[in-house]
Amino acid sequence: MTEAEAHMDFDLELEPEDLDEEAPEAKLGDPCLVVDDLHIVYRVIGARGKKAAGGAHITEVNEKQSFVRRLISSGRQHVGAVSEVHAVRGISFTVRHGESVGIVGVNGSGKSTLLRAIAGLMPAKSGSVHVSGEPSLLGVNAALMPQLSGERNIMIGGLALGLTPKQVEERFDDVVEFAGIGDFVYMPMRTYSSGMGARLRFAISSSAQPDILMIDEALATGDAAFKAKSKARIEQVRENAGTVFLVSHSISTIEAMCNRVLWIHQGQLVMDGPTHVVTEEYKEFVRAQRPAGKGPGKGPGKG
Amino acid sequence: MSNPTTDVAAPKSPPAKGGKKQPPPPIVPSTTSAERLALAQKYGLKPLNVRPALGEYIRDVARRWPFIRVMASSTAYAKNQNNYLGQLWAVLNPILNAAVYVLIFGIILGVSRGVENTVAFIVIGVFMFRFVEASVTGGAKSISGKSQLLRSLHFPRAVLPISSVLSQLATLIPAILVMCVIVLLSGFMADYSPERVTWWWLLLPAAVALLCLFNMGVAFIMARLVATTPDLDNVISFVMRLVMYASGVIFPVTNYVHQDLDLGGWRQTAVELLFDYQPVSVYLYLVRSTLMSEETIQPDGTMWIMGGVWAVLFFVIGFIVFWRAEERYGRD
Repeated sequence: MTEAEAHMDFDLELEPEDLDEEAPEAKLGDPCLVVDDLHIVYRVIGARGKKAAGGAHITEVNEKQSFVRRLISSGRQHVGAVSEVHAVRGISFTVRHGESVGIVGVNGSGKSTLLRAIAGLMPAKSGSVHVSGEPSLLGVNAALMPQLSGERNIMIGGLALGLTPKQVEERFDDVVEFAGIGDFVYMPMRTYSSGMGARLRFAISSSAQPDILMIDEALATGDAAFKAKSKARIEQVRENAGTVFLVSHSISTIEAMCNRVLWIHQGQLVMDGPTHVVTEEYKEFVRAQRPAGKGPGKGPGKG
Repeated sequence: MSNPTTDVAAPKSPPAKGGKKQPPPPIVPSTTSAERLALAQKYGLKPLNVRPALGEYIRDVARRWPFIRVMASSTAYAKNQNNYLGQLWAVLNPILNAAVYVLIFGIILGVSRGVENTVAFIVIGVFMFRFVEASVTGGAKSISGKSQLLRSLHFPRAVLPISSVLSQLATLIPAILVMCVIVLLSGFMADYSPERVTWWWLLLPAAVALLCLFNMGVAFIMARLVATTPDLDNVISFVMRLVMYASGVIFPVTNYVHQDLDLGGWRQTAVELLFDYQPVSVYLYLVRSTLMSEETIQPDGTMWIMGGVWAVLFFVIGFIVFWRAEERYGRD
């Protein structure tokens, strides 16, 4: 067991129930999302990027070369350290109504950042994102309060998603039933088992129906029965939304749900095309990263 | 070496054992930037992450009122949910607090300094000042402490400082009831003149409302400052302590300024005006003048006007200051 294994344990999960499925064909409409030369840089306060780091996209801010600066540089690791992570480096693409787009890439390649940026949640350093309607990320976890009852949290989560109190009340029974938590809904959320919590969070998140739906690894919650249920729910949302973005480490999930795939590597778009073309290439790349003769996801070390 | 992670520790991992496939080179887009922008315009797509106009922003925030209300009450409620006594702490907490201050300053040290009813004076001062302090510290963390929320949901960010101050208001309301009871009871103490419920008590909600508005303005400003410069969070507690002593929370600092300080000429006048009319002392004066029958703290029209001016001024300026960085929150 090495630390590197943690990095390895990721991107080629195969989920048997998804294996032979293919994304339903959908008619393509007008463009509904245009991403133009998007750059996302975020500041990390309290950390200093090492120059030797393999990812060239971490840079130090305000690096000065003066003599005095170098004298005190030994202390600077701990005082006034600011790094910038250039997570997305110039990505452009256009998406039409009715497309479901999967985003693949190894850990840390910028998938989630890109998804947050096109949902309007991460301000861009340069470039722009244009959308029709309101994009929305599936996930309200951060708004919920574990000390409070599930009932209260359904209200908080629904309002956070932009529903009106009346809409939340109308959907209340539906959410409880979908989450399958019964009377536990009146107990504080911190008392839930992790599965119950995850189910309720998913049920709340998917109670709003946005124009463009963004999903970040939301499928990997709960048992097999709930997975099937949540897939059906996403399918339903997708029909209404028209456009779906999905970030997942499960290639089979992406193959089952998407008809177009973007492959992001080190913050850049390296491949963009029909699902099978891209995923075949991507799988080959990921396999090549592993030592020969080992099963998927269980390599002893990196590279 | 193609290391896909941003983890600085990763390069220590062993190098590739040959035959490693490289990812394809980055795609060069087939359209130019101008073409893409024209396409976006042709289909009427709206740019994301552009700060809405002020009027539109105010409407957005107003539309989120149910969310603000529920967030505020839930946060206040959740605070006491892990105790056996539960929501009873909303009342016990202020009582204990008042007891400590009254014991130390009112009874042991006996700081009266020309105030007849020291107990009422201190209790009102401490409770109202805690509202200001909690709003400032809560407002300061309302953006910087919520980066997860900012990165997962889309809503006008002004919702967060507003609901933070309102949750403090929700905590304050039981404390105000305790405060009123203590003021009345303090009138029965040996050498104090009796306190009575007067018509002026009806103005208490107005004074609290003005203070709340002022607090929101300060919370907006602090939220933006700390979101961009987290270090300021460390300074707040010192500044608040300074404000506490300069506002006459525990003893009437204005009496010192008027009687003991002698700078002479315009300087003396300036310092007196500053101590008399700075926002926090104005609000303390307003609340005290409505509840207490103190001769030196009588209801005063100028103070009410100042209270209104400070509230509107801080709220409007704070809101605009906050709005001007709307599209940048959540970047760090």
